[in-house]
Amino acid sequence: MPFSRIESVSFRNLADGAIQTEAPSVFVVGENGQGKSNFLDAVYTLCYGSSFRGGQDADAGRDGERSWSLRGVGPDGSSCAVAWESGIKAIKEDGKPVRDRKRLVERNPAIVFCHEDMEFARGEPERRRFFFDQTASLVSVGYIDLLRAYRRALKARNQALKDRSLDVLEVLDLQVASYGIGLRDERAAIAREFDERFAPRFESVARLGQRVGVSYRPSWRLDEGSDDVVARLAAARDRELALGTSLSGPHRDRFVFTDDSGDFSDRASTGQLRLLSLTLRIAQAEHYAGVSGRRPTLLLDDVLLELDPEKRRRFMEALPEAEQSFFTFLPGEPYRDYQRDGTIVYWTDDGRFTRT
Amino acid sequence: MKALDDLVGILARLPGIGRKSAARIAFHVLKSDDQYVALLAERIGSLKEKVRFCSVCGSYTEDDPCEVCSSPMRDRSLVCVVEQAQDVLTIEASREYRGVYHVLGALISPLDGIGPDALRLDRLVARVRDQGVSEVVIATNPTVEGDTTALYIKKVLEGSGARVTRLATGIPVGGDLEYADKLTLARSFRGRVAL
Repeated sequence: MPFSRIESVSFRNLADGAIQTEAPSVFVVGENGQGKSNFLDAVYTLCYGSSFRGGQDADAGRDGERSWSLRGVGPDGSSCAVAWESGIKAIKEDGKPVRDRKRLVERNPAIVFCHEDMEFARGEPERRRFFFDQTASLVSVGYIDLLRAYRRALKARNQALKDRSLDVLEVLDLQVASYGIGLRDERAAIAREFDERFAPRFESVARLGQRVGVSYRPSWRLDEGSDDVVARLAAARDRELALGTSLSGPHRDRFVFTDDSGDFSDRASTGQLRLLSLTLRIAQAEHYAGVSGRRPTLLLDDVLLELDPEKRRRFMEALPEAEQSFFTFLPGEPYRDYQRDGTIVYWTDDGRFTRT
Repeated sequence: MKALDDLVGILARLPGIGRKSAARIAFHVLKSDDQYVALLAERIGSLKEKVRFCSVCGSYTEDDPCEVCSSPMRDRSLVCVVEQAQDVLTIEASREYRGVYHVLGALISPLDGIGPDALRLDRLVARVRDQGVSEVVIATNPTVEGDTTALYIKKVLEGSGARVTRLATGIPVGGDLEYADKLTLARSFRGRVAL
């Protein structure tokens, strides 16, 4: 397991000190606002170097503190630490500075299940692209490189459109086409692979009696090569110049959840959407494990609330093998039903943790 | 101490020097003998008077044209295009390249407001046209801006008769695969070539 102890100082509303986590599963139970999600955020920050709740590093200091620090210690004594002080973040692995936080991700890859994941299911194309980009980036540094290059070239192209720099636009068309086609083809491959994992997993928990899968709808057709895309961009020149923005490309790609009748998200109930978002994370964790050969750490933040008891049970059974799992629950939830041998259960009250 | 603080402040503006390093340098200066300090001040003060840009290629030189441009041993049919003057020193250190140079001074970057007009491209086109250049080697960095500039140069040199090439990227020569960083490896795979 990655963490046998989590230490925190001035981090959100967590009381300063160490929390023992030497178990495959750790449950944190408490009312709203008592520090459950903040504890998960501490673990996430030790895995990614940043918060899953968004916001600035400065916001993570308790009561406006100008510094905070976190340290995770493994069973073998190895450690990772993230500290922030007066605008500067320092990341260390076994006491030595780490320059790129990607190193933390490689050390302890984590998959977080949280309320905001509903956005992936509800249908905003940008959030779905984010999810699949994240899925690909977890296992491919080359994908991150391609995505960054495409975004930078696209921003430059949009600026050139606003500046009406026609000669530079001709060159940026070639670049955007080259990076964009690479990205489109990688997305198509990951959508195919992801669909094969996601569809049977979703059916096993939702039991809808029909296949719900992932379909990739690229902005540029899959049979369009570089010359075709450059011609398409040139043909749209006048309209794009008028609007000052690029109207086609992977930044306009869509991922759609489809069943026999079409777009499943349009007709799904809130409970089905919740289940869909949770299953996306399960498939993401399985994809990571399948490609990398390593099990991730799972962080589940109060995500069972909207499911009926039977679906909760099926969801818990469907959770993939993990290096370590951290769950949060409200006091009224049947968390005892999900305990396994060795599970550590904490009650939290105003950031203070009491082991039961 | 105002004099010490002032020196630390101005040293900390140097690239790669933080306030801690600046303070160490300032204390070192304070402890050094007067002759060394005077020599250091004189060398820094006269640097910009002595070193200027070569009127032909745009690289740093004390004599105009620079040593490379005035050497009869260099191949003038081969021009290597770099972004900055210090890139010339880096390539020269390899002692492998026998052609001449052309320094652009910047890269095309619409996001930073830098267009083709800010680069010394008209001079490059004139050199290629008037001096029988057969090959232009583009040695801009493998970044989005480096790629934009390389593609733009290829476009403006179309029809000039010169071959336009780009430096290869990938695994460092002599470097074992196990020491290559992941990004370099990923790019090498994407840019793999047939044998």
